[in-house]
Amino acid sequence: MTAALLLRGVVKCYGRRRALDGLDLEVPCGSVFGLVGSNGAGKTTAMAVSVGLLRAAAGSCDLLGAGSFRAEVHAGRVTLLPQDSRFPPHARVVDLLHYYGRLQGLPDDRRGADIEALLAWVHLADRARSPVRTLSHGMTRRLAIAQAFLGDPELILLDEPLNGLDPREAARIRDLIRERRGRQTIVISSHNLGDIETLCDRVAFIEHGRLMRQDTLDRITRRSHRLTYLLTGDAPLESLRHDVPEVDWQVSRDGRELTASYTDPWTPQSLNRRIVPLLLQSGELLEIRRGSDLESEYLNLTPPLPL
Amino acid sequence: MIPTTLQTLRTLTRHELEDSVRSRRVIVLSLLYVAGSTAATLLFVAILQKVERQLAESLGVTVASGTGSVTATLWKSDGFRHILTSLAGSESLATTLLRVPPLALFYGWLSFTFAPALVMLTSTARISEEVWSGSARFVLFRTSRLHWCLGKFAGQAVQILGALLLSAAGAWLVGLLRMKSFEPAATALAMLGFVMRGWIYSLTFLGLALAVSQWCAAPNLALALGFFTMIGLAVLAGVSDHFAGEGWRRAWDLVHALTPGGHGTDLWWGDAAHLLPACVFLLSLAFVYLAAGYARFARRDL
Repeated sequence: MTAALLLRGVVKCYGRRRALDGLDLEVPCGSVFGLVGSNGAGKTTAMAVSVGLLRAAAGSCDLLGAGSFRAEVHAGRVTLLPQDSRFPPHARVVDLLHYYGRLQGLPDDRRGADIEALLAWVHLADRARSPVRTLSHGMTRRLAIAQAFLGDPELILLDEPLNGLDPREAARIRDLIRERRGRQTIVISSHNLGDIETLCDRVAFIEHGRLMRQDTLDRITRRSHRLTYLLTGDAPLESLRHDVPEVDWQVSRDGRELTASYTDPWTPQSLNRRIVPLLLQSGELLEIRRGSDLESEYLNLTPPLPL
Repeated sequence: MIPTTLQTLRTLTRHELEDSVRSRRVIVLSLLYVAGSTAATLLFVAILQKVERQLAESLGVTVASGTGSVTATLWKSDGFRHILTSLAGSESLATTLLRVPPLALFYGWLSFTFAPALVMLTSTARISEEVWSGSARFVLFRTSRLHWCLGKFAGQAVQILGALLLSAAGAWLVGLLRMKSFEPAATALAMLGFVMRGWIYSLTFLGLALAVSQWCAAPNLALALGFFTMIGLAVLAGVSDHFAGEGWRRAWDLVHALTPGGHGTDLWWGDAAHLLPACVFLLSLAFVYLAAGYARFARRDL
């Protein structure tokens, strides 16, 4: 699988502070890739460096196998949803999108239809002729998302795309992203790990400008080799260890959360068939989860902040 | 499909113009400039009228109604030619100026003096305010920084030309309505010439304004620095002109050539031998200033 975005040893300094400290990142083509990290970890900087808005002090960046960002090669193929950036306030929504489309080289006959479809997607069709300054924060955010998807670019970088959206609009944007899976490469930076978990197939943890871990979501959360059971009563740990000794059993402190880590030939189905009857004997079974959640993995991997 | 450079520049220029029209600030400033130049022309005509009346009274002759009849006679007199020659420092320049209708001459002075200030007011913050607000971040992965800056330059240049043409039309209309011996066609033609010269002169200041805008991230700082630089260059032009001479003092000639003021006088001439080098120099200076700003802008974080 070729990389849509490849960063190698990228260093970016703001004065004395190193925002990126030799960051390595490999985003495969067609993936929906999540960037996870604490505030100031370097996620926004990594995106801005990728599209040439910020200049790296060292390292290399390769976009779509065509080297570092150059407008004459990448314009229209790579887009960005920047964080905390404002549109020209006097421009009308539809004019602004036409302007961006023209710069991307979208042909006239396709541009109008694309813009119409995108505005309908982000529920801004009725505000197409409104000046940007008259839009609410959420509407402006949706316009920012629309511009990132304009012209079906090959690589889309979304910095906190769901921030400031109401739940209904956020769900709609999630659908938009899911719909593009496999057709376009989408990189999402977010603090909301639930969003990353539902949208992404690959995840990178970044801390202090360095890559901590990068892998598929399945491997990080061990979805195919871990099951978690939520119980109302205490887990029958002894009998489980006796009956299924080849599985690693762990119980939470309160005894209500049981984790089974297994290897082949066990599958979730075969394991459930074997142990669910046992668990039901000791109480009610509330939930079965595949793998651990991303938040736990992130918290396990990253050191806690000093008090 | 990546658009060609020309297509990109056309898109950027068009957007810049549309944005200027939508943002009332630029429109208001340009209209103020037009109103100011029209008012100044009215004042000029009124003063001319007063001077003519006083002249007629002291000579004990009746003055024809309307302004300009005495001036037209004065314009052709040898005495006035001598005065103008000593003021211009060259007889041929004085002869050239005397061929120009007085109102057009006044308009020329007006545009050479005030158009640079208009440019500084309207253009110095154009790049910095987009960087400051972050709106440039939606554009600069769709086009190169160089194209974006050139598009800004082209858009602002068209806008300045529009303001100069409108102000010339206003001044011409004042002459038509208020001056007796007014030659509409000759004055319009001469004014058009001064519009084009004033425009080229203003482009140098536009290059300077956008250079400052590329250097500064804060729009207000850019505006202040723009005016400071404009005044600094005017002082430098005066100082270098004063100290230029033989030997090592020739270095001042070089300094003089690098300021817009160093070529302003040549724009008053009517012949290509003076005008052409001045225009080439001024346009080159515009792009030198722009390139100096771009040297930083190309490398800075946005």
